[in-house]
Amino acid sequence: MLYLQLLVNGLQTGALYALIAAGFSLIFGMTRIFHAAHGATFTIAGFVFYEFYSVLQWGLVSSILASCVAAGLFGVLLNRWVYVIIQRHEGSFFTVFAASFGAAIVVQNVVAIVFGKGLVTVTTSLSRSVEILPDLYVSPMALIAVLAALLCFAVLHYLFTHTNMGVALRALGENPGLIDVYGLNPRQLGKYAFLIGSVLVVPAAILTAATSGLNPAMGHHVMMISIAATIVGGVGSLRGAAMAGLLFGLAENISLAFVDPQWSEAVTFVILFLFIIFRPGGFYGRAITS
Amino acid sequence: MRSHEPAQKVLLEIRSLSKHFGGLQAIADVNLDLPSGVITTLVGPNGAGKTTIFNLVTGHLSASSGTIHWLGESLAGQAPWRIARKGIARTFQDLRLFSHMTVEENVQTVMERSSWLWQRKTPEMAAKLEQVLQETGLIHKRDQRAVDLAYAERKFLSLARIMASDSFLWLLDEPASGLDPRSFDRFVELLKTYAQRGVTICIIEHNLDIVIRLSDTVAFLDQGRILAQGTSDEILKDPHLAAIYFGDR
Amino acid sequence: MLAYLQNIAVLFAINAILAMALNFIMGYAGIFSLAQAVFFGIGAYTAGYIALNVSDSLLLSMATAMGISAVLSMALALPALRVRGEYFVAASLGLQMIGVTIFSEWKSVTGGLGGLVGVPPPVIFGYTLTSTGEFLALATVILLAILSITALLVRGSFGRSLMALRDSESAAQAYGKNVNTVKTLSVAVSAALASLGGVIYAFYMSFVNVEVFTLEMSILLMAMVIIGGTGTLLGPVVGAAIVMALPAALTYLPFIPPGELGTIQQIIYGSAMVLLMMFRPGGLVGGRSKGKTA
Repeated sequence: MLYLQLLVNGLQTGALYALIAAGFSLIFGMTRIFHAAHGATFTIAGFVFYEFYSVLQWGLVSSILASCVAAGLFGVLLNRWVYVIIQRHEGSFFTVFAASFGAAIVVQNVVAIVFGKGLVTVTTSLSRSVEILPDLYVSPMALIAVLAALLCFAVLHYLFTHTNMGVALRALGENPGLIDVYGLNPRQLGKYAFLIGSVLVVPAAILTAATSGLNPAMGHHVMMISIAATIVGGVGSLRGAAMAGLLFGLAENISLAFVDPQWSEAVTFVILFLFIIFRPGGFYGRAITS
Repeated sequence: MRSHEPAQKVLLEIRSLSKHFGGLQAIADVNLDLPSGVITTLVGPNGAGKTTIFNLVTGHLSASSGTIHWLGESLAGQAPWRIARKGIARTFQDLRLFSHMTVEENVQTVMERSSWLWQRKTPEMAAKLEQVLQETGLIHKRDQRAVDLAYAERKFLSLARIMASDSFLWLLDEPASGLDPRSFDRFVELLKTYAQRGVTICIIEHNLDIVIRLSDTVAFLDQGRILAQGTSDEILKDPHLAAIYFGDR
Repeated sequence: MLAYLQNIAVLFAINAILAMALNFIMGYAGIFSLAQAVFFGIGAYTAGYIALNVSDSLLLSMATAMGISAVLSMALALPALRVRGEYFVAASLGLQMIGVTIFSEWKSVTGGLGGLVGVPPPVIFGYTLTSTGEFLALATVILLAILSITALLVRGSFGRSLMALRDSESAAQAYGKNVNTVKTLSVAVSAALASLGGVIYAFYMSFVNVEVFTLEMSILLMAMVIIGGTGTLLGPVVGAAIVMALPAALTYLPFIPPGELGTIQQIIYGSAMVLLMMFRPGGLVGGRSKGKTA
């Protein structure tokens, strides 16, 4: 039964990781910007939801919307006010990465000042676990997590195959030079990439707020999962990143049956190393050599 | 135009070379010989695959099929730096100078082995450095960063790098494009000098002046295939090829 | 007062050593590593372990620490550098996380969460180093040595190879540069130099604890390098000074509640990183030098 429990937990975590990773992969794949502040987007989304739902008591839908707006705004504005400016005069990988990192640090600490450094949770009856089988505890959250992830990916799929903007985004990921054909420019598409990629973390942030809780430093972990999943999934492949996210969620939980909890994070990175050594292209990508 | 020499030893031998990228056939069934001391020019419309051939020879791309032999040895699957150390050097259409390094550093680093943590500057290296800077007219700009040079100076620096390398096959990708007449003359003379010193040169050029003044052999490419090979007279006077080159098929 | 200043000076020198070592790969080779704190830790734990169990020879500790760091970093670099730079960042992040876990769990060697306590003072050429002043002298000597080594390497043929591959990897390859070897060598040098900082730290504190070898420290070091200016010799030293001076300077500002000092400090250097990258990517020392390409 232990394995089954860990599996269920792993699915729940994995679904959330899949969303986060897909968001990062979308941004990175489409704009080639190493958006190290993706973890900060997650932190903002989570805390904004907490503020509106638990503190201001605004009601579920409004709180979710507020969270989406906050996350989307952060991503888009960071791109517009920082990344674009940097890219205008130089924009090497390093400069953008460093700026992104700096932004993440600022966000983490501002959140710490406003909300304190400790753990913050959103209490809801939905996070209470129910023993559905002997020794098997599942909360409705697990189901919601998986459903939310599936729904988001379905919407994403629709966007990418049936809307102009979505198709253009995919083309941008393949070959930025072809983009003029669609009459949109890379800058505009970049904006959409950041918008969608950032909003994708919202369900994950909200669900995390309701289950394990939020703290300002959690952006680090989010960023790590995002980067690792994007690589293991294959750069440029959203599906790959999502699957890798799921894999990491499962691995992180199932490994608890074999090793102490301190090592579960290490498990993620052992997987990452193995992929870098043996299959740098990841699940779906081609290994990009300079 | 230079007179024909008797048959020279073939240094680079390309046979049935093909390269495709997914559905796109960039090069198809190319055969080319580059003999010692001969200047060959590759001409053809844009996108014909000329730079791709260079990339395949230097190892920046790997062939889909076919062989490339240098001095009898196959170059298949070798890393670019290894191929470079065998005596093949190239320039890039977009130059790719070491922007933040000075002129002198750009030239000097070509002469140094990368795998060592430190190397002494030998008298031979110093002499060669001076010679190269002198011949390209860059000697007064030696401390300027590559990114701060004028256009013509950058083109000459690109040539200077290849001159400083120990190579005897030069693959030059549109080396003289956009040069003003005086610089252009200097450039052509420099190439002639090195060809006379025994360097084998293969040039991709659109500038017909270079083709006429320098080439021993011209190969015409279109859509990944070599349509014709011969002297510049033969190729340039062929109306069929001219039609392809200038766009009416 | 003197002891206080000397203490700060030693810690500053150690940070400057770590920052310079990181700058070697970040500034000159364009390789970004988030694992610098791990090599700092390896240096410290190696020195601590050797001093407690084998010998208190300073030179032995230094040599062993440098050797282990160099080898480990090459194990990291060889696979990761074959592919793109982003992969190395990810791999280094992974190494950083696993490193901390190993430091915390490998009790027999690292003392686990408790760390190594009571590290004996180091001995060099028969002379035992005990006072803060002596450690300051040691740290300064090593700092200057590293400065000289870095200068020599960077201004010599290796530096040119590094900068060539940073400016245009494809051109560097076309002119015979074995890119993988260059990158791997530079990572090894960087790791070895960083471990020296760890050796000094272990002997100075007589105590090695995992808390300073975390991701936070790696990020702090990266901030020092970025703020001071990459690709310059003195940039990291300046960066180290500024980042270290920040908390002290902040204590003089009356309106900041003491509990929030660390947070405010991080906000300042985070913002500094963002603003610098936007307007002065060369850092404070380097200026606008990160310009266009030729």
